Amino acid sequence: MTMETTMADKTDFTKYQKKDDQNTAGIAPNGTMIHELKERVKELNCFYRITKIIRNSKLSVDEALQEIVKVIPPAWQYPEITCVRIYLEGREFKTDNFQQTNWKLDSNIIVDEKIIGVLEVFYLEEQSQANEGPFLTEERKLIDAIADLLSKFIEERRIKEELERQRQKLDYVEKMMKAEGEPLAKIRSDEKKQDWEVILDLLAKTDPRTLLRLTRKMAYHLYRMENEKITTLLNKITPVDNDSAAVNWRSVNMSTPREDLETFLSIQKQVFEIAKESIPADVISTLFANWMMQDKARPLLLMSQKTGIPLVEIAAELNRFFDQEDVETAISLEDLMSIKTALIRRFFAERLEYVNVAKTAFELKDFLGIVDHIVGPAQGAGKLGGKASGVLLAEKLIREEMKRNPVLKNINFPISWYITSDTILSFIHYNDLDEVSHVKYLDPLEIRQEQPFLEQMFKSSTFPFEIVEGLRKIIRDFKDKPVIVRSSSLLEDNFGYAFSGKYKSLFVPNIGTEEQRICSLMNAIMEVYASTFGPDPIEYRRERGLLDFNEEMGILIQEVVGTQVGPYFMPTFAGVAFSRNEFRWSPRITREDGMVRIVPGLGTRAVDRVGNDYPILISPKRPNLLVNTLVEERVKYSPRFMDVINTETGMIETVDAVQVFKKYFDDLPKINDVISVHDHGRLINASNILMDIENADIVITFQHLFEKTEFLEQIKQILGLLEEKIGVPVDVEFASSGNQLYILQCRPQSQSQGIERKPVPKDIPEDRKLFFTKRYVTTGNIENIEYIVYVVPEEYTNLSKREQMQRVAKIISELNVKLPRRKFILIGPGRWGSRGDIKLGVPIRYGDINNSTLIVEIAKEKEGYIPELSFGTHFFQDLVESNIRYLPLYPGQEDNLFNEQILFDMENKLSKVLQGYKNFESVVKVISISDMLPGGTLSVIMDGEANEALAYIKPADHLTWRTMKIEEIAQALDPDLYGIQGIYLIGSTKDGSAGPTSDIDLLVHFKGTEEQKDKLMAWFDEWGKKLAKENKERTGFDTDALLDVHIITDEDIKKKSSWASHITSPYQTVRKITLKKGI
Amino acid sequence: MQVKQDLKHEKGTTGVFRKEKEGFNPFKMAQQQFDRIADHLELDEQTRELLRFPLREYSFSIPIHMDDGSMKVFRGFRVQHNDARGPCKGGIRFHPQETQDTVRALSMWMTWKCSVADIPLGGGKGGIICDPHNLSEREQEKLCRGWVRQIARDIGPVRDVPAPDVMTSGQHMLWIMDEYETIMGGQYPGLITGKPVELGGSRGRTEATGYGLIYILRELLKEMKMDITKTTAALQGFGNVARYAAELFIQYGGTIVSVSCWDQTENSTYCYYKKTGINLEELVKITDRFGTIDKKQAEKLGYQVMPGDDWLTQDVDILIPAALEHSIIEENVQQIKPRVKVVICGANGPITPEAEDYLEKKGVVVIPDFLANAGGVVCSYFEQVQSNQNYYWTKEEVLGKLDNKMTDAFYKVWELSKRKKVRVSDAAYMIAISRVAEACKMRGWV
Repeated sequence: MTMETTMADKTDFTKYQKKDDQNTAGIAPNGTMIHELKERVKELNCFYRITKIIRNSKLSVDEALQEIVKVIPPAWQYPEITCVRIYLEGREFKTDNFQQTNWKLDSNIIVDEKIIGVLEVFYLEEQSQANEGPFLTEERKLIDAIADLLSKFIEERRIKEELERQRQKLDYVEKMMKAEGEPLAKIRSDEKKQDWEVILDLLAKTDPRTLLRLTRKMAYHLYRMENEKITTLLNKITPVDNDSAAVNWRSVNMSTPREDLETFLSIQKQVFEIAKESIPADVISTLFANWMMQDKARPLLLMSQKTGIPLVEIAAELNRFFDQEDVETAISLEDLMSIKTALIRRFFAERLEYVNVAKTAFELKDFLGIVDHIVGPAQGAGKLGGKASGVLLAEKLIREEMKRNPVLKNINFPISWYITSDTILSFIHYNDLDEVSHVKYLDPLEIRQEQPFLEQMFKSSTFPFEIVEGLRKIIRDFKDKPVIVRSSSLLEDNFGYAFSGKYKSLFVPNIGTEEQRICSLMNAIMEVYASTFGPDPIEYRRERGLLDFNEEMGILIQEVVGTQVGPYFMPTFAGVAFSRNEFRWSPRITREDGMVRIVPGLGTRAVDRVGNDYPILISPKRPNLLVNTLVEERVKYSPRFMDVINTETGMIETVDAVQVFKKYFDDLPKINDVISVHDHGRLINASNILMDIENADIVITFQHLFEKTEFLEQIKQILGLLEEKIGVPVDVEFASSGNQLYILQCRPQSQSQGIERKPVPKDIPEDRKLFFTKRYVTTGNIENIEYIVYVVPEEYTNLSKREQMQRVAKIISELNVKLPRRKFILIGPGRWGSRGDIKLGVPIRYGDINNSTLIVEIAKEKEGYIPELSFGTHFFQDLVESNIRYLPLYPGQEDNLFNEQILFDMENKLSKVLQGYKNFESVVKVISISDMLPGGTLSVIMDGEANEALAYIKPADHLTWRTMKIEEIAQALDPDLYGIQGIYLIGSTKDGSAGPTSDIDLLVHFKGTEEQKDKLMAWFDEWGKKLAKENKERTGFDTDALLDVHIITDEDIKKKSSWASHITSPYQTVRKITLKKGI
Repeated sequence: MQVKQDLKHEKGTTGVFRKEKEGFNPFKMAQQQFDRIADHLELDEQTRELLRFPLREYSFSIPIHMDDGSMKVFRGFRVQHNDARGPCKGGIRFHPQETQDTVRALSMWMTWKCSVADIPLGGGKGGIICDPHNLSEREQEKLCRGWVRQIARDIGPVRDVPAPDVMTSGQHMLWIMDEYETIMGGQYPGLITGKPVELGGSRGRTEATGYGLIYILRELLKEMKMDITKTTAALQGFGNVARYAAELFIQYGGTIVSVSCWDQTENSTYCYYKKTGINLEELVKITDRFGTIDKKQAEKLGYQVMPGDDWLTQDVDILIPAALEHSIIEENVQQIKPRVKVVICGANGPITPEAEDYLEKKGVVVIPDFLANAGGVVCSYFEQVQSNQNYYWTKEEVLGKLDNKMTDAFYKVWELSKRKKVRVSDAAYMIAISRVAEACKMRGWV
């Protein structure tokens, strides 16, 4: 068995290798071109260095030649085995490794038509045959050019020496003749050929393409200097004659006729002549030097501009580029920008907003480090995905700010690795799982059913060898630290889509042998992959028309920050910071003040709502305005549990935070930042070392962290910085090892769960509006509300006994149980949950309202006085954690509307829902929305950004209701009991055209007995009546029975009878209803 | 800035508070109650006039620089209902929509409470109109100090003694004390009560209310010829009052068959029942700091878990409502088992008047809240005495003195109730009011 597996593995490996080879072959032409280009650059470098040496007048001829031999080898194909010698009139200049061999290339140095020396290049080892022995034609040209350059140099030096002698003589004469001398020096310099001209001559011989580029650059340079001559010259080449019809005609349909080579040469000459006239010689030389330096970036530039360029090649090119000296200072800004944007598009995102920010933030060098941490198919062109791009950009922006901002100097970032988005494709192909790509087009129910199977299928697959090796590298890099595997899909990068939480993020404890660690890492990645095809994200994509987007899943792997105490590994604290506060607990807090959700241990409990526990909420800009002011509230709403990684079992565990803190009090760094001691109605900082920790009443408050450390200031500045640079509100995940704060993730806040912005609809008729407000609105949408519970403010205040007010609270509490969960809202006077002075609001507790979905507080002006509302403070955190929204309403204020009359006009259903509260019908109104509009529901759209909220009656959605009912039927029906093969939906409900009285048409493929058939029809009959009754309540329309059931048998299908044709005919469409399989 | 207001009967509004025109009015209710007792006592018109309204009402502005540099003016106030028997005593509340009549009613109630316990203090109440949820701690400190600066001359250890109340805590009291001492130039720990022990608080404070209740119950049972060791009781609640009441009751040999508590996680109340009597220690062990008993563990320990309202229907001798107001109402009072002989109120206002009428008819003795839970205010008085003397007692000393005070107070009320054949709560009111009225007369005020 083991043998077989090993064999199989080997085969796979060879398969992969072959694939790789083919691919390499496939890109060969490109490779050659780039290779050639690089060779040219090498030559140019060589020229440049030689020119530089020659220009240094301080060096003697001999010194110069000794320097020159050293710079020649790099220009050859195999620099490491190249040696050079210059022989000049009996003197020898050679490289250190010089040795005469059989593989030689030489060229004579000629001055005054006499051979005065020779330049020789040898290869120390045998190389494959090229044009001239092992040497290339280009290398022959090069050596000749260098020899020529040397000849000119020596000639020049000799002339110079001669001139010097002449000058000395002249000086002497001058001195003799005093004032009668002629300034000969000027004439002399005109005669001299400038070194840039020497380079031009060389290029003309060896590399016309580079010459062309230099010419272009010079022409452009002159053009920018507004040189008139160059403008005239350019006009001559491409005449713009607006009157000439011919020209116009040509410019429309034909390209400009190509100038022949002769013309080109003459233009080139003219350009440089103009240059010579208008630019000083040394400036031209410097320009040339710069331009040639810039050419070093050409291979990278060209490479980056190509689409779909493989990962390995980019990595190699980046490395090669940075291996060169002073390369970053030389590269032109335009080239740099264009390389950077190309790389950003290649790895991060195409979205312009992102590229715009990223291109100024990132330096080219940063990519070197990023590429080093990427794992993916070597020949792949995948991206890093949204999450990774977000966190990389945030890291870069913060790091830049850290240099000048002392507050941020201690911010850290976890070690991160990236798996490219196309790895999932290579994984799928490698394991022949290609059929998963159609999963997204399946029926939601089927997706849900298939998901566990799919996950198992993924988990029993393997990764290609190259990826496994990449993962091995990752595991080794992380050493023994636990890691988190996060999804980083392409869609996650898009603004406005709340993909967070839809794809999985998984912890990997990273324990055991290396193979075990790789295995569990792979498992985690596969599970994240499988979540790409999960029902929730697919449903979400379907709703937003993103189904056809080619979603790929990148992976971000980060170390988990923290400390090991006992069997547990955990950060001291962690959480999420939002730059917009969507849960304002006081009117003094604005949305812009931001919000932090912070918990002890892993951040999981801060990111998700856990219901039975509370994170600490605080506004970084308003740290003094606590959510819970009173000591007892602060104790009540403090976190009691935390998530930790148990490194012995490898599981995430939820532990009693206080117990763990007590046990490992001395081992956890900065634990005193997190906890306070509750003592006689006060919360005191736990920093007293004399404290009896075992018996102290420990409360997690983060009091010390907020009051005495820079934490909130750091978070505030990070949020401010990122929001400013990225241009949208952001949320940031963080964790602290106690001593150091780490930033883990950053994304636009619009992607956060549950706070997707939806603007208030503007086309709602006045009579459909229930209320509208422009004050203290937070973002959130509540739809499909069926009931309104309204406590009439005037009536409530008029109650003459406290006891009656208590009774109203009891009614609310009972309604909370009776009304459909999360389908009703509460509207009432003043402060919901008021204690003590209960006249101010109904004295309910959280448990009395926990099934509602929104609570509205009404502040009606009385005698010029607007009562202060509670903002839900009595149980604010309960509301936040269970996602019950809060809205204050100020009727009578100009920016508020409250159409109270609607509520009075409707029938009060209180006594129908609850017995024995007839007396309270004037105080408590229970309104069914479908009474106002048959089948209608209430929608409350709250747009915090625009600070407006609207509640309006939405007309019936008959289709949704019917679809829901069909699912109920499918759940209730036992196919085996009634002999059902399958059920299909046809007609208006299937087509989506159902109206208020439409039947639901069902086709039942029946295989059972007559008795079963009777039973089945009776069963459907009962359902039909039940639905008709419900529909009547919804819409007011009478129907006999809402179900229209047609039975077809195998025989009908054979005969293709009329109903059966629905299933058999390719032109009719039906929707198969997934039934519960057996009971 | 400070306005000392004379009494303006009937019209008496200061404009500080929201006007109450209709509906439930706590002050009116307190006055009606007073009038009823005054009729019993046949009080003269002048005394009634004096006692129906507070003696003094102060209202003033407290300008504060907020954290953001802006300026905000808050309204502070103090109502001194009556100080004929001693310095006023009463809480300071932070409340965003405080109404004048609520504070008046509360201050009157304090006068009766101190009087029925026979401690030499009068009644007062005060506070600041604000919502501490919208204030930072620093701003709250400024408010407390600002409040003292305006009223320092009219409060003090021998004049009016504040204490923590709704939305104020020991911390607020310490700020107030510190500012007062700064103004007065001396140590005056007797200015306030509710201080931590290190800064002049009294020992035995946590136990005081619950123990006080049981001291009275002990004496009542003696009077009713019931052997406390043979009695059973059901408790509503499991907070401070209920827990210490249970502790002492069990110590005296009684049996508590059930306690009830609010379950944080399930958002509902449960009643924990054990026929043979609860073991307080084991229950406290499985109770979190919010007073929620661990349901599963309680079941393991052999407790029967019942709906929260079932505490009322237990077949016991004594019911002790010690958690919520309006727990015993017209609708459920008939469910009380005939065996029940005593209802002793630990919570404030747990029985509605209608329910009390019914119980009286059934011959059940009801010990009213302001007598039964007076242990708290007596201990505050002890704290003040200790602070003024700058000499502090042991816990045993405090609880011993508390026992004496409560026992005395009970017998005075019980004796009157027997003699005049009125229900205990009426007797308690009668004693309280007549003591105050007597003091006013002696001082020559009426």
